[in-house]
Formats: sequence, structure tokens, C-alpha cells
Amino acid sequence: MTDTFATTTRPPSGPAPRRARGGFRPVRSIAKHALLILCALVMLYPVLWMVVSSLRPNDVIFRDPSLLLNDLETGNYAEGWTAFADPFSVYLVNSSIVVLGAIVGNLVSCSMAAYAFARLEFTAKRWWFAIMLLTIMLPIHVIIVPQYVLFAQLGWVNTFLPLIVPKLLATDAFFVFLMVQFIRGVPIELDEAARIDGAGHPRIFAQIILPLMVPALAATAIFTFIWTWNDFFSQLIYLTDPDIYTVPLALRAFVDAQAGTNWGDALAMSVVSLVPIFLVFLFGQRFLLRGIATTGGK
Amino acid sequence: MQRRLILKGLGASAVALPGLAACGTAGGGDVELSDEPVTIRMTWWGADTRAELTNQAIAAFEKEHPNITVKGEFKDWAGYWDALATTTAANDSPDVIQMDELYLASYGDRGTLLDLADTSEYLDTSGFEAATLETGKIDGAQYAIPIGAGMLASVVNADLFAQYGVELPDDTTWTWDDYAAIANELTEKSGGAINGSGLTGGTDAGSVRYWARLHGNELYSEDGEVTLDPAVLAALWEYNLGLVESGGVESAAQSVESQSAGIEGGSLATGKIAMGFGYNTQITPLLAASGADLRLLQLPGNAEAAANFIKPSMYWAVSSQSEHPAEAATLIDFLVNHEAAADILGTERGIPANPAMREHVAADLDEGGRLAVDYIETAVAGPPVAVTPNGGSGFDPMVQRYTQEVMFGERTPQEAAEAFIDELKSEIDAAA
Amino acid sequence: MSATTELRSLGRQGSTAKRQNKVAFWFLLPWFVGLFAITLGPMVASLFLSFTDYNLLQPAEFNGLENFTRMLGDERLHRSLGVTFTYVLVSVPVQLGLALALAVVLDRGVRGLAFYRSMFYLPSLLGASVAIAVLWRMVFGADGLFNEGLGLLGIEGRGWISEPETALGTLITLNVWTFGSPMVIFLAGLRQIPRVYYEAASVDGASRGRQFLSVTLPLLTPIIFFNLVLQIIHAFQSFTQAFIVSGGTGGPADSTLFYTLYLYQRGFGNFDMGYASALAWLLLLIVGAFTAVNFWASKYWVFYND
Repeated sequence: MTDTFATTTRPPSGPAPRRARGGFRPVRSIAKHALLILCALVMLYPVLWMVVSSLRPNDVIFRDPSLLLNDLETGNYAEGWTAFADPFSVYLVNSSIVVLGAIVGNLVSCSMAAYAFARLEFTAKRWWFAIMLLTIMLPIHVIIVPQYVLFAQLGWVNTFLPLIVPKLLATDAFFVFLMVQFIRGVPIELDEAARIDGAGHPRIFAQIILPLMVPALAATAIFTFIWTWNDFFSQLIYLTDPDIYTVPLALRAFVDAQAGTNWGDALAMSVVSLVPIFLVFLFGQRFLLRGIATTGGK
Repeated sequence: MQRRLILKGLGASAVALPGLAACGTAGGGDVELSDEPVTIRMTWWGADTRAELTNQAIAAFEKEHPNITVKGEFKDWAGYWDALATTTAANDSPDVIQMDELYLASYGDRGTLLDLADTSEYLDTSGFEAATLETGKIDGAQYAIPIGAGMLASVVNADLFAQYGVELPDDTTWTWDDYAAIANELTEKSGGAINGSGLTGGTDAGSVRYWARLHGNELYSEDGEVTLDPAVLAALWEYNLGLVESGGVESAAQSVESQSAGIEGGSLATGKIAMGFGYNTQITPLLAASGADLRLLQLPGNAEAAANFIKPSMYWAVSSQSEHPAEAATLIDFLVNHEAAADILGTERGIPANPAMREHVAADLDEGGRLAVDYIETAVAGPPVAVTPNGGSGFDPMVQRYTQEVMFGERTPQEAAEAFIDELKSEIDAAA
Repeated sequence: MSATTELRSLGRQGSTAKRQNKVAFWFLLPWFVGLFAITLGPMVASLFLSFTDYNLLQPAEFNGLENFTRMLGDERLHRSLGVTFTYVLVSVPVQLGLALALAVVLDRGVRGLAFYRSMFYLPSLLGASVAIAVLWRMVFGADGLFNEGLGLLGIEGRGWISEPETALGTLITLNVWTFGSPMVIFLAGLRQIPRVYYEAASVDGASRGRQFLSVTLPLLTPIIFFNLVLQIIHAFQSFTQAFIVSGGTGGPADSTLFYTLYLYQRGFGNFDMGYASALAWLLLLIVGAFTAVNFWASKYWVFYND
């Protein structure tokens, strides 16, 4: 690693170890930041609106798209939290269990499958890979009934198992494919060097490949978190007892188009449910950037 | 361990197909209360208030019947039907089901609901009027018990009438021509700040049925045929097109927005229109969301024709897959016939369809509830309408689609009416 | 180790390639179990059901190719295909282009990188939140914020999500706006590029633009390829956004009737699951064909390191 050299040549990628780059082109820098901030505001508006609206009385929410808060209504949070038989924390915990199970499952099973597809030779590999991609091409709506029958016969309905076990079994081809592409980006010479040292595949996988694909693993963990946290349909179908409802089920249950919806409560709890995923992204993103540039290439 | 899982899984999926195909009807045979403790599942759609009240009612029921445990499940409207279809398909449906008029025949005709005549020992229906019970019958089988009664109404915003100096109409005499004139006047006097009215039909089955009955027509016949006359439906759209043109009714785009915004975000609640159609029981959320002086008036033309009708807001039904039909029926009996339950549930699911309970809750109603009860007692109802036939569950989105095509000028009313009726007929034929 | 695992050369390896079936089996074991125990059964079941009149509540009866011949005359299906193809062909390239551009910008030494990244990712976090539908009406409705903005510029607005001509375009915009996921994958991919390549390039005196074209872009092609393939697959199955914004109808006047939304309406709204299953398999054929073409074309532009 030639850090000094890298700094002078300003590589487009890299850990950016020196933040201060001297006073070059301040105008351009300001313009760039102004543009980025403007974009960020556009991106941020919906979230800000949600937060502001969650602090409004019900009859103002639909009339005011602005972000100015006239009368503060914090009661929505207290009311929303206790709107159902269980406090909202129960749903947060349930969602967390499902999410953690799904993350562990995806990280372990998808990385193993990806290693096989990226680095090993085996019979009919192309066909297995094609089959894997095919499995994510059918919409869930035609799969759900047969799948429900299957899980009902296993006695898994109304538990978290139908939501977690498939992840432990690498059914999410998205992440397998993602990891395959990343592993193939790792120079094969590294494997070969390890092999000369007498390492077998399990060791190459664990000690060479896994550390080098931290960004892909981080992306997998973050996406699994967010997508599972927001997933509605399968949780709706498999979880029947309100005590094990997850956040999306509780949030939807606020809405009743016929008898009326307490939007203040619904928005307040939407904000609450955003906090965990935002924090996860905020702290998880640093792992996205631990590329080969920082950890490998010795 | 993992290998066993494969075998087990494969075995299960091999049985899955016959399981799918033979979604049987387990219950019905011996309807008797069990001596053993029994757990039954009950499911409904609705928001937090309904969940809270229903759970209280369940607790009261369990106190009276220590042998029976009830597991309540609540879902949002769309998710509710997806989950109910899936669990029913897998022969795993809840025992007690909250049912809607649109879906009653779809489930009843296909043998997934129990004929409650089989459980009459536990569920007493003698307190209901025959016409009310009829709305839960299909081909003579009592598949469901109406919970609440609702009736289509003109909802007017008296504050906006006052603000723009328009006189409130006399709803015992007003006609559709009067309605149009008032709508146009409101728009004019407000200088375009509001529109007089929202669409007066074509957004749901109720409004179409009312319009048809005014014209001596019916949407469906008793034996489940589509009898709607295309010319009648076309006239409904012509009427609205004319009013959109003159400004009395809000624009097509605004109607779409209002419709997808739900009660609270709709044009009526946000004060963008002064008159609209709604069910009398929706007055409570409308009042809360609008903060305005809203009134329920008879529909235009109704005083003369008595074309309006009572629509059960929802029903209780028992799944034919239930292993405990007697306990399920006992629960429904408690919910619709017992004052203890009525005290808790109030009018949250609509004005109770059981007259004794209606009277019982009438004593302490909130403002919305009082308006709703007053309305249903003064409005003139004609004979009941036929239940939506099997295959008609998609009526509302279908009619909305055609209404939008007409309002956005993609089809003429006559063309659209014919195409709509063809499509509706083919849906119903396909399901039969 | 001579196993050059060029994906397209898989399955027809030369005589030098030694199969590693045994070790591969162990690595793939969880996936195999999932495939055979969980995934394949329901897939085969849906294929079977696509040749039946299955209505969810009654036993399915075989009806031959009826579901497939019915597709020929199904106008709503044709409409939904039009909507979906428009959506895929417009939103995927635009979203990926934007994601790549921002990933490249945000990968460089901009102050407050983590902050910007988080901001740009925020919309993607919102998912299918109930608040979103409300919000879009507030923004893109006839009386919405967007029109107020246009009004300041003297432009007359319209009901962007409630008029058939503009509803799909608005949905595409909303989709582009959630470019966070491909952006994050691009960012991770950029970090995966060994720096020695840049060092070599700058020794040769390559400008930054030149470096981007000759180093970054080629080495990022596996990731671009991944995003392209998966975004196309996802876009064809796009459901939630249209469901939320139109309340499940695909309205106004079917202008946002996405393929899977129509399939869902048939299957669950009309208990027409046999037909819905047939629709699903047609979709699989279409998406499969797109994916196959993608893989075929990839040999001309995707560069692998191994």
C-alpha cells in the first residue's frame, strides 16, 4: 500500500485517508456541496413531512403539505404506542427477531452457495445457476398458497419459522448472485497462493474470501434488514396471532378505509419504525466501504 | 438432520397438491359444545379502535364461557381478504369470520361457510327481522348474520353552505335536477374555491344500485344475474359528465385523488366539496376529520321513489372448516344478541342490525352515532337488494375503472356501460 | 488451480478442469435443501395450477390450455404488458444511471460522505409505508406541493398521479427516486477495485476521466451487470408502489396496471388463481428471456477478474 502516492494521485476509490486536500478549487467544491445538499433536501422531504405530520393533530395532516409546525401534538406517539392490545415495542421486538434470523441466514447460506458458484467446478453448474435465478422470477402471489400448505403441514404457521428458515436455506437468489459477482472480483491469485500454503476450500472461503467480501456481506445484511423489516405480504399470511405481529402488520392495521383511520397515530408509529432501519444503515454503511482496497492487496 | 428435512419437505409438498384440491368441509356434522377446553380463532378487518373493543368483548365472552378461548386476529382490509383466501385454500381458516356483502356469495357458494341453520341451537336469530336475515342468505342457506346496518346518504357540509350563502335543500322533495342546480350554485358562489359536489355514483356498488332502482332497474336479480340496463348506467355517467363540465362536480383528477385518499383525506373531509355520497355510519370519521357541521340528507329523488335500501355493513360467519362450529356459533350469539357485548361494541361496526341491540345502544351515542341512527330511522327504504353474486367481489374497482375511463374521455358513457356489463357478466359466469 | 470459473464457460470445461462435485455439494447443501424442500414444490404446484380453473376455494379442475388461449383476447393483460414494459425500459436505465453517477461522486473525497450517503438512501428505507401513499398525494396531487412550486414559476400544474396520461410517469419518477439500493451496491463494488490498477494508470499519466473509463468502468462491469439483471427482474415484478399509490386498482383507468398487480387482482380479487398462475408463468418466460439475453450479451462487455 502506497498511501502517500495514492493521496497525490487522488484515486477515485480508496479509503480517502486525508480529508484535507488543500485549498484547490474552493468554488467548485462549494458548488458541488450546494448541489448535493439540494439533492439531499429533495430526498429528505418525505421523511421530514412524516415526522412533522406525526406531530400534528389529525385534521391538519391532510391539509398541509408544508413542513412548518404550528401546533405541536405529541400525543400521537403515546396513543400510537398503545393503540393495540400489545404496546408497539412488542411489534418492534418481533420484527427484530425475524430480521436477525433472516440476516444470519442470508449471510451464512448465501455466501456458501456463492462461493460454490464463483470458485468451484461441478456438474451442470450453469443449469443450477439458471434454476436459482428462475426461483426469484415468479411473483409471490401464486407461490403463497402452495407454500402455505407446505408450512401448515410442518406446523410452522403462526411462528417465525416460515419467515426465517427459507433464509437459512439460501432461497434469496438476489444475494447469492450479488456475492458471486463480488467473489469473482477477488483476484484468483489470492486463492492460489493460499492453496500453495495447503489451504482447502473451507479455509480459503473463511480466511480469504469472506474478509475480502465484507462490502457485499454488509450490503446483504443491510438489504436483508430493510427488506425484511418492510416486508408485508408473507408476514401477513404467516403470522396470525396479534402477539407475534410485526411492525408492518401493526402499521397497516391502523388504516381502515371504511371506519376511519387515526393518521396521526399511524404516522407517529411509522416514524418510530423508521428509526431502527435508519440507524442500521447509518452505522452499517462503514462496512460497505471496507473493500479490497483497504483490507487486501498486500 | 438436514437430509430428514429434505424428505419431510418433499413429502409435504407432494401432499400439498391433493391438499389444495380437496379443501374440504370438515364441520357441519355434529354441532355440539365440547366438554373439553376449546380454542377458536376469530378474524376481522379494521383499525385499532375495533381491535380494542372486540378484544374487550372477547374477554367478556370468555368470562361467561370459561371453556372457550378465543384468539382474535385483526388485519387491514386488503390484507384481510388475501389472508382469508390463503388460509381457506389451505383448509386452515379461522372459525369465526367477519364477512362483507361483496364476498359473501364468493365464499358461501363455494361451500366454505357453514349454514347457520345447523347451529341454531347455539345462535338465536329470532330477534332479527326477516328482511335483515335475508341479506345473509344465499339460496336459502343462512351463511352469515348481519352485524350492522348502513344506508347510503347525501352528506352535506352545512358550514360551506352557510359560508357561500346557499340554502340547505329540503331533502324530502329534492330531485336530481335540484341537486345539479345546488351543486353548480355552490361552485359559482364560492368563486371556484370549492366544487359543489363529488361524483354522485360509479364509485361503488351502492351508488349504482340506488341509481338503477330509481330507474326501475336492479343491478342483480334474485338468482344472481346481472340485470343492469346499460342505458341506465350510461345516464348516470352522462349526468356526472355534465356536472363536471359545468363545475358542479369536481374534476375527474380530483375525484380519483379523493377516492384513493380514504375518508380522512377525501374531498368531503378536507372541505373541497360541500356535498357527497357516503354511508350513514361514515359520518363519525367524517366529522372527526373535517371538524365541520356535516349533516346526513336523504338521497335526491328518494322521498318519492323509495329506491334506497339497507345494506348490512358487515356480517359474522362460521367457516365450514371449523372443528368447533358450536363454540363459534355461541360466540356470534354473544356478539349480536347480548347486551353485555353491545355495551362494549356500541356502533363501531355500524348501527346494530339486531333491533333490540340497536335500541339498547341508542341511549348513549356520540354525535356521529346519533346522526347515523336518526338517518336510518327517517330515510325511506325500499325492498332489500339481492346479494352480490359469486364472482361479483371485484365490482368496486371494476366500476371505478370504467367511471375513470368515461370521466377522462377515453370512452363514451354508452360504450363504457356496455363493456362494463359484459365484463361483469363474464366474471359472474366464470365463477358460477 | 485451472478452474477458470468464467460463468459462461461453465458446464463445458476443457479436459483440464477437475470437477469438485463433492466439496461443491457441501457448500451448496443449504441451497439444495431450500430448493427442493421449499422453493421447487410451490413452483411446480403453480405450474400445475396454471392448467386448471383453480379458484382457491374449490378443487382445481384441469382445463388444458384454456388459461393461455384466454390471454390472447385479454385486453387488460395487454394493457398491463404495455405499462410494465414502459416501466422497465424507462425506469431501469434511468435509475441505474443515476445510482452509478451518485455512487461515483460519493465515493470520492467529498466532505461529509456518510451524511450524503444516508440522505440519498433514506427514500429507499421508506419501503411500502402507509404514509407513502398519503404523502405522494400531498406532493403530486392536483392541489399538491409540486403544483404550488410550478405555480410560482407560472406553470399550470395538473393531477400528476390522478390523470391517466401522467400517472405512470409519476410512478417511474418515484421509483427512480429510490435508487438507494443499486447505489449502495455500486459503492461496495467501487471499493472492491484494487488500487494497484489506479496506481498503474496514473503512472502512465492517465487523467481522472481516462482512469474512470479504463479502470473503474471495466472493473465495475460485474456489478453493473448484476444490478442490471436484478433490477430488470425486480422491475418486471414491481407491485408494491403501484398497489400503494393506486389503492390496489392500478388506476386511474388502468394507467398504472402493472403486470403483477393485474395478476394479483385476478388471483385474489377475483379468485381466478388458475389464470393468475398461468400469468405468472408467462411472466417467468418473459423475465427469463430478458435475463438469458443479458447473460448472452454479458460476454461482450462484462470483465471478470478471475
